[in-house]
Amino acid sequence: MNWKVGFIVCAVAACVVPFVSPNYMLTVIIEALIFGLFAMSLDLLVGYTRLYSFGHVAAYGLGAYTSALLLLHFNLPLPVTIVLAVAISTAIATPIAWVCTRTHGVSFAMLTLAFAQLGYAMIYRFKDFTGGSDGLTGIPRPEGPFGLDFFQSKIGYFYMVLFCLLGSFLLCRALVNSPFGTVLSGIRENEAKTAALGYNTRAYKRVIVILAYAFGSLAGALYAPFAGFASPELFFWLISGTVLIMVIVGGSGTLIGPIIGGVFFLMLENQLSEVTDLWPLIFGSVFIAFVMLAPQGIWGILTARFKKPAVLPQGGADGETTSAPS
Amino acid sequence: MPLLECRGLTRRFGALVAVDSVDMTVEPGEIRAVIGPNGAGKSTLFNVITGVLAASDGEAFFMDQNITGLPVEQVVQKGISRTFQLTHLFPELTARENVRISAQARQPGRWTMLGGAQVLQESTTQADQALERLHLSRFADVPANMLSHGDQRLLEIAMAVSQAPKLLMLDEPTQGLSIEETDRAVTILRDMLSDGDLTVVLVEHDMEVVFKLAHRITVLHQGRVIADDTPDKVKESNEVQQAYLGGFE
Amino acid sequence: MDFVGFLLTQCLNAFSQAAVLFFIACGLTLIFGIMRIINFAHGSLFMLGAYVGYSTVAATGSFWLALIVAPIVVGAVGIAFEKVFLSRLYARGDGGAYLMVTFGLAVIMGEMIRVIWGPHPHGVATPDILRGVVFLLDQPFPKYRLFLIALGVIAAISVWQFLERTRAGLLIRAVSQNAEMVQALGTDVQLVRTCVFGFGCAMAALGGVLAAPMVTAFLGMSASVIIDAFVIVIIGGMGSFLGSIIGSVLVAYVQVFGAYYFPNMALAIMYLLMLVILVVRPGGLLGKEE
Repeated sequence: MNWKVGFIVCAVAACVVPFVSPNYMLTVIIEALIFGLFAMSLDLLVGYTRLYSFGHVAAYGLGAYTSALLLLHFNLPLPVTIVLAVAISTAIATPIAWVCTRTHGVSFAMLTLAFAQLGYAMIYRFKDFTGGSDGLTGIPRPEGPFGLDFFQSKIGYFYMVLFCLLGSFLLCRALVNSPFGTVLSGIRENEAKTAALGYNTRAYKRVIVILAYAFGSLAGALYAPFAGFASPELFFWLISGTVLIMVIVGGSGTLIGPIIGGVFFLMLENQLSEVTDLWPLIFGSVFIAFVMLAPQGIWGILTARFKKPAVLPQGGADGETTSAPS
Repeated sequence: MPLLECRGLTRRFGALVAVDSVDMTVEPGEIRAVIGPNGAGKSTLFNVITGVLAASDGEAFFMDQNITGLPVEQVVQKGISRTFQLTHLFPELTARENVRISAQARQPGRWTMLGGAQVLQESTTQADQALERLHLSRFADVPANMLSHGDQRLLEIAMAVSQAPKLLMLDEPTQGLSIEETDRAVTILRDMLSDGDLTVVLVEHDMEVVFKLAHRITVLHQGRVIADDTPDKVKESNEVQQAYLGGFE
Repeated sequence: MDFVGFLLTQCLNAFSQAAVLFFIACGLTLIFGIMRIINFAHGSLFMLGAYVGYSTVAATGSFWLALIVAPIVVGAVGIAFEKVFLSRLYARGDGGAYLMVTFGLAVIMGEMIRVIWGPHPHGVATPDILRGVVFLLDQPFPKYRLFLIALGVIAAISVWQFLERTRAGLLIRAVSQNAEMVQALGTDVQLVRTCVFGFGCAMAALGGVLAAPMVTAFLGMSASVIIDAFVIVIIGGMGSFLGSIIGSVLVAYVQVFGAYYFPNMALAIMYLLMLVILVVRPGGLLGKEE
């Protein structure tokens, strides 16, 4: 149960952060954790099912706008709103998942992109409701339920985000290690064979797309009340590409890698864009280098030394001789 | 009650009739070989029965249930497991994981999303048994793409066997194997079938393999059944000699 | 007659827009057909074409020279990129890797252009001969747009005839059908890929130069055009040349008439069109479902 020890150590270490970090850094750290959660949700698709979504920003934008609108119009307690926002976003994601999983490969990537763009267009179409290009501002963080109000302070919000991130990580980890997750790895490796073994692969893909949207929308629903505004930028297609970069650079198919990728990316961007305006140039190059030379990502590199390479046993206990693999 | 019954099963590709009103009955416990020269429609027949291809005409019944036109995954759920002519595996996963995914497909808990340790445990046990039956236990933790071609073919059979199918369909199990590998595969297969718990339909090219394994042989020629008899009778049949054995080595 | 005149100019407007879109979409679809790559950097190459065109005009004063220089420069950039990066990924057989590498290139190129040419838009003057308007049914219509339509038609016919009639065209179609077979028959498939990639990039650059007099060369032009091009290629069917022509015209019409009749919905209509087509035909109008 090695990973449990690691998990608890990391969780405890994270809890200390607000006491050692300067106040202005805490804002960046909270945003970074939210983005880490967002990147992790994409990993469910990219790393575990090899479904390349180029429109995952739709989940983020959907969560952000739903929570923003709920808060502005109904003023329900923040935690209740976030749960509601995720539920509504998931409901909206269901037909999207149904359409997208009719295709695969590049078509899937482009269809998800189209849905994200459709969301972007809708923000402008219904501008009386969404605020159009001005976005929505002045989003409150109402207290409750039971008089809870710790999230109205920045430190309190940090803990709420941390709780959501760690909780989602545990849920996703259980998911990918469950029988369901086993089937996903089959789809990733060879979808036709998985179907031939008796699985309705399209149904499995539908479910994982919906779940990825759910976790992605949680990230969005956490972001809007923290920033206090929601703008169409939250639906901008380049973010889909950026978050894909975080997943790959962090290490796809590991959950923890994309979190690291997302957190570090945002912190680095924040630090570096102050000293150099060539930041996109640097991160574009780093990204290409990772795809070309280290597709296993940062987490893959870090853990490589602990993994025993697989060896083919020669000769065997049952005394047979086998030919060497060609 | 026959296990599998094909009635007038037909598949056309444009003007070409690849499978031409095939009637075939397989009884429980039988080892049935389907043979025929290249292009005789053997693999097409397999694909039509298992739902990979749609039938143009005719019907297939499995345990008196009409399975014509069912999607692939539902055919499997009825109890028919198969292998492919070209090996289909999960290359990056270990041999055990390959078989485990297969074994899990027929478990009620296959949709379990959280936990499900018991489902995993059970399918792992089934996987280990299937690996054992095909003499692959020592490769359990090796990624499938590192296995030799011969072992990959056996692994695919192990995947099918792990589903405890009522009917096992093997599409050219010795395809692409060397003579030594073929001998070894046949020994292992005969060993596996000697338990008598499996009903098998196999397509095979190699006549020696067929005569060593099959109880009964169906001969296809240009999509039609030209003989359906015991191996000895098929060997003697003139029509078969002309259509097939005459032109074969 | 007012309405007929209006309809005529709007139709011509749409066709001129379709011409520009065709230049970028046809390269995208040819590259996909032969390499199974969706080139995310295609919009940036289009933008690079516009900027190189601007510099050529600024240096020599000749728009016509820009139409030659930009495709050559951008084609060379494309070939270098294919040689250095993409060719190393073919063996991996993972479509996602291309998507990501070309996305990385798009990010880098956008930034390089900002560094070299600065953040401000650069206008490109329309050549004298194409300035002004002609009157069609008493409606004024810019000469330059008529020129675009003519050039688009010429380019579409030339590429189509090239693919259908020449040996090289046959080879390209053969590689897109079955690359392994062509390789086995003794053709250097790698060379074909490099050439098609370079050609696709050059076409995008041509589109960039042609668009510059209307919209100027600006930093956001890659983003808007690449999404349009994706939609076109998906609607038409990925890898289908004819599909890219039909897709360009459809999308341009939806944009022009959508902007007039449903100004609020213009953006959304294009995506809705694409979704409907994909739900009915998952492979696009002329594409095969993989």
